Amino acid sequence: MTADKEKRRVISREAARKRRQVESEVFRDLSRLLPLQPSVRSNLDKPSVIRLTLSYIRMHALLKVNFATEAETSQSVKYGDVLEGGEEVCDGGQDGGEKETEEATEEASGETQLHLSTLEGFLMVLSSEGDMVYLSDNVSKYMGLTQTELMGHNIFDFTHPSDHEEIRFNLQRMSEGVWCGATRTFVLRIKSTLTQRGRSTNLKSATWKVLHCQGRVRVCSAPSAGSCLLLTCQPLPLSHTLLSSHTFTSQHSMDMRFTHCDQRVTLLLGYSPVELLGRSIYDLCHTLDTDCLTKNHLNLCFKSQSVSGQYRMLVRGGGYVWVESHCAVIPSVRASKSRFRSYQPLCILCVTYILSGVEEPSLLLSLDQTINRYLS
Amino acid sequence: MSARNASAGGGDRAGGGEPAEDLLVEENQSSSMSLSSLMSASSAAGVSLSMEMPRKRKGSIDIQDSKSASIPDADMEDDDNGSDGDDQHVKMKCIREPHSQIEKRRRDKMNILIDKLSAMIPTCNPMSRKLDKLTVLRMAVQHLKSLKGSASSFSEANYKPSFLPNEELKHLVLKAADGFLFVVGCDRGKIVFVSESVTKILNYSRAELIGQSLFDYIHPKDMGKVKEQLSASELYPRERLIDAKTGLQVQAYLPVGGARLCSGARRSFFCRMKYNKVSIKVEEKEFQASSSKKKESQKYCTVHCTGYMRSWPTSQLGAEGEGEADKQDSSDFSCLVAVGRIHSHSSPQANGEVRVKPTEFITRYAMDGKFTFVDQRATTFLGYLPQELLGTSCYEYFHQDDLPHLADRHRKVLRSKEKIDTNCYKFKTKCGSFVTLQSQWFSFVNPWTKEVEYIVSTNTVISQASRSGNKSEQSCKTSDDGKKSLPIIPGISATPGSMIYAGSIGTQIANELLDFNRMNSSPSSGNASPFSLPQDKSPQTHNQNSNNVPNGEAADMEIAGKSSPEDEPQGAAFSGGETLMGENSQMDLDSVVGPGLSSLSNDEAAMAVIMSLLESDTNLGEAVDFEDMRWSL
Repeated sequence: MTADKEKRRVISREAARKRRQVESEVFRDLSRLLPLQPSVRSNLDKPSVIRLTLSYIRMHALLKVNFATEAETSQSVKYGDVLEGGEEVCDGGQDGGEKETEEATEEASGETQLHLSTLEGFLMVLSSEGDMVYLSDNVSKYMGLTQTELMGHNIFDFTHPSDHEEIRFNLQRMSEGVWCGATRTFVLRIKSTLTQRGRSTNLKSATWKVLHCQGRVRVCSAPSAGSCLLLTCQPLPLSHTLLSSHTFTSQHSMDMRFTHCDQRVTLLLGYSPVELLGRSIYDLCHTLDTDCLTKNHLNLCFKSQSVSGQYRMLVRGGGYVWVESHCAVIPSVRASKSRFRSYQPLCILCVTYILSGVEEPSLLLSLDQTINRYLS
Repeated sequence: MSARNASAGGGDRAGGGEPAEDLLVEENQSSSMSLSSLMSASSAAGVSLSMEMPRKRKGSIDIQDSKSASIPDADMEDDDNGSDGDDQHVKMKCIREPHSQIEKRRRDKMNILIDKLSAMIPTCNPMSRKLDKLTVLRMAVQHLKSLKGSASSFSEANYKPSFLPNEELKHLVLKAADGFLFVVGCDRGKIVFVSESVTKILNYSRAELIGQSLFDYIHPKDMGKVKEQLSASELYPRERLIDAKTGLQVQAYLPVGGARLCSGARRSFFCRMKYNKVSIKVEEKEFQASSSKKKESQKYCTVHCTGYMRSWPTSQLGAEGEGEADKQDSSDFSCLVAVGRIHSHSSPQANGEVRVKPTEFITRYAMDGKFTFVDQRATTFLGYLPQELLGTSCYEYFHQDDLPHLADRHRKVLRSKEKIDTNCYKFKTKCGSFVTLQSQWFSFVNPWTKEVEYIVSTNTVISQASRSGNKSEQSCKTSDDGKKSLPIIPGISATPGSMIYAGSIGTQIANELLDFNRMNSSPSSGNASPFSLPQDKSPQTHNQNSNNVPNGEAADMEIAGKSSPEDEPQGAAFSGGETLMGENSQMDLDSVVGPGLSSLSNDEAAMAVIMSLLESDTNLGEAVDFEDMRWSL
């Protein structure tokens, strides 16, 4: 009896092994067809191969739509060629492996890198279910995890739970048949395995990174690719950027009252920094923009970074200017003189860009603009 | 059992189809390839990490021995290897979790992926029955081959493949960003390169733009800003940079041109760029040239430019030879490489205008009803310039008959998060006549402190100021009088003198709120009156409701769900000893009370009391009800 059973076990094991070999063979074939570097390819496990295949197919379908509708590619002139006086061979993606195309592709890849690095972010294509169909390869610079590790996974696995609703909201609108041209902008927190030194740890010790996502919907009717959201995702750094003279920085307590302000504000808005201390930003903006500022404030409270839209700030003595603020919550540098010592002092840092000139300079709209306000 | 196993092509896709032993065999393939793919790249393929769990099952030991974990293809042999590092991680942690559960999860994941794949592949779709795993995979291979067409396989070592062809990726980036890439020289702003997408955005063709000066396309007032961002001049020896960690400005004392122009120095600015409204035709160009001189026909849009500086040695430049003009041994050609993005999605000016109809205007009140913001449209309807209204109390302009109703609304809005509508009411214009308005109020609450910052009012003009018969004239007269008997507003002491009276209504209402908050935050003082001082000083004490919050609130609380009976203020509100604390669900203000009111309203309130004290001696006005005077001390 036992011998019989043993025999059967051996047979079944052999059969299973054979089956697996066949399967592995197919997986290997599949992975060879994917545009991956050899080192990456050998590291892939089976689910990853499928994920990447899915992405490949989807992107292909998505881009086919692209090319059908746009005839512009025939005129492309690369910047490098402008300098060198040459011209690029038009690469519509259909060419075979000719030498010229390869060279052009080399340069084109440099140009693409240029695009991405100028933008200081990475590209994400989201399906209506939240699958990250495509991510540009510089995603590793921002998230630590590489393109091949992430592509095909669902964004909900990598973002902060509190942001899921907002993401879902943005995705839902898309599937309701909203056409191309609908733009989206939102802030979310995503996992990042980057350490302080820029190295990558494992997923267990990931931290949250705040990303500002902007983009638009791309509707595609092909069955193999539904509508997608094309997004550029940028971290919100307040990095070493040269600030123009039409920008000022300010620090606020968490309720958005000014605690400190850059001298430049006098030139731009007329108030002296001292006059602004303790004033709420809500007093200084146009009433119709209250919603915009509230959203910004809420984003700051929950996600610690935010980009306001455009809003109007009232100028001292009359009129207003259009501005946009990029803000972040940071630990307060100054020694806290507040009586609330129990919690860690945080403050809000805003970099405000002035977008327009002073409009309607003779118009006094608010009490806060009047000179009398500051006499006491 | 054997029958199932014998089916060669049959996939082991279905969850329960496998005999237990096969499961074991598969599990024991230890190479944690999936995990290593999520860890740093240094972990080599096939290294078996110490996460292998000792399996103590019968009959499996020999299997374990025979398989070596370091076969490079081990990953391929294992069907149901965990896909995520998380999965493996879970496996590590929860040793007690049955393997079957883990395996089931893996299988489910794999099945989901296979399903997705079959949905994607055109040849799989029409199949009515569900295809097995292997078939789907084979079809996928076929499909990919067909997609690539005659393109070379991606197996050349020297070829650096990217997932998307670069051309496409480039376009995709710009499409997502709604922007265009441009390169301008620093010295004269010459546009050296601009991407095709600019046509969609600014409606100028590439040919038109390349070679032109960027400054021709920028709003005159922004030229200085852009020049500054491009320039290398000595005017800005110290850069204003922001330190990413502290967020403070850092003065960087670098040699001029050092950091500014070195590759990588970032720039970010907004500027207004011209855009072309009509399509470009040769004949029309001349018209455009002349019409563009007029400012009003020129449209601008706000563009956010982010990028960095770059310089190339002039030697590379060949025929184009940019750089310092006329100099041979010139320095590098420096330029700005940036992406310009249109800012149309953020709430633009148009939005605000659209929301408010032509017969509407917006005002903002402080908590006590003083105007702190007046939309310029108000002037058309009310006759006053904004600055004439600012700082004055809205109650000074309301018609007497409407005061009770509006006071009640005022109270309500301070306590509610919703938008409150008023009925139609009359507002006094500059010339003395009245316009009929209807307003929608809501109190704006600071998201952080949850305190009311101010009240926003959207006012709709119902009818223009008209001298509609005797009634209005009479009311005009009476409001000038100041000595007529004033309507009793619940909770407000009727001090004589209409101006003060009007002003004090608002402040009293605001004070009520503050005090209510204070009482809310200190529940122990529920019954006792927290306002010791005024109680003692008040010479007259008529009302027996001294222990409660001002009576006016009683009406408020009750009406929480009811339709508003606010038109009948007299008598309705003075409900005896009703306790009001803690019942109202509308009370959604936190107990954090800050000094929200400006000191102005306190002064006003004090002044009102003094006046009333003075006048009460001479018995000019109605009986003063000091119980209801509250102010913060």
